[in-house]
Amino acid sequence: MQLKVETRTPQEGVAVIGLEGEVDVYTSPRLKQEMVDLLNRGLVNLVVDLNDVKYLDSTGLGVLIGGLKRARERDGDLRLICDNMRILRIFEITGLTKIFDIDRSEADALAKLK
Amino acid sequence: MATNDGEAVVELTIPGKPEYVGVARLAILGVASRMRFSYDEVEDIRLAVGEACTTAIERATGGQTPSQDVRVRCLIDPTRLVVEVTDSAAASSPAEQPPVPESVLEERSLGGVLIRILMDDVQITQEPESRRHVVRMTKYVAGAAR
Repeated sequence: MQLKVETRTPQEGVAVIGLEGEVDVYTSPRLKQEMVDLLNRGLVNLVVDLNDVKYLDSTGLGVLIGGLKRARERDGDLRLICDNMRILRIFEITGLTKIFDIDRSEADALAKLK
Repeated sequence: MATNDGEAVVELTIPGKPEYVGVARLAILGVASRMRFSYDEVEDIRLAVGEACTTAIERATGGQTPSQDVRVRCLIDPTRLVVEVTDSAAASSPAEQPPVPESVLEERSLGGVLIRILMDDVQITQEPESRRHVVRMTKYVAGAAR
């Protein structure tokens, strides 16, 4: 399974990156490039929607950590949307729930970025 | 490969390229699904094996050597599943290998953390002759006599 990356800009300065498929060592460079491109375009508030992600490994986690770091360096932020227990568990067992803000819905994430 | 009653060995060799890690994950999903593991346990095994393959591939590519094979060997028995992931460090001279390959799987790395949490037992060894690294991971079947 491949990774589909689709970005929308539902409000000014905010990009929602919707992911569908598997985020691993093969596909995560595309997510990284997408985040870098958006940040370079001045979209410094990123929301990554993981609800349709079927598989996420440490490579994908590393790319998300890098995205959060780069966004904050530009006075922005990166929030995650995830309602999938399997994927949430990966953040929990690696301790990354302490680093990432994870919302259940896009509405919650956008409200907190305002 | 048939062995004693209830035991079996499944082996897979994949090219050491990122696009083939998904193939190894699919194979391990098939193997683990046949055993008496819960859905969550099957997913744990898939992620752990994926991490081990990723580490093996990153080690190969980090060594500036062209793609090398990664071997995944599943030892199935009624009480447990043992998966050995072996890289192909043999093809490169020691000087070409990335320094301290064990560090890739140390507890600080996310992949290493995941493997150790998701599996019941993890051993990392280096074959003395070939210098290949072997990550040996075991998951026990809940309630089965060991």
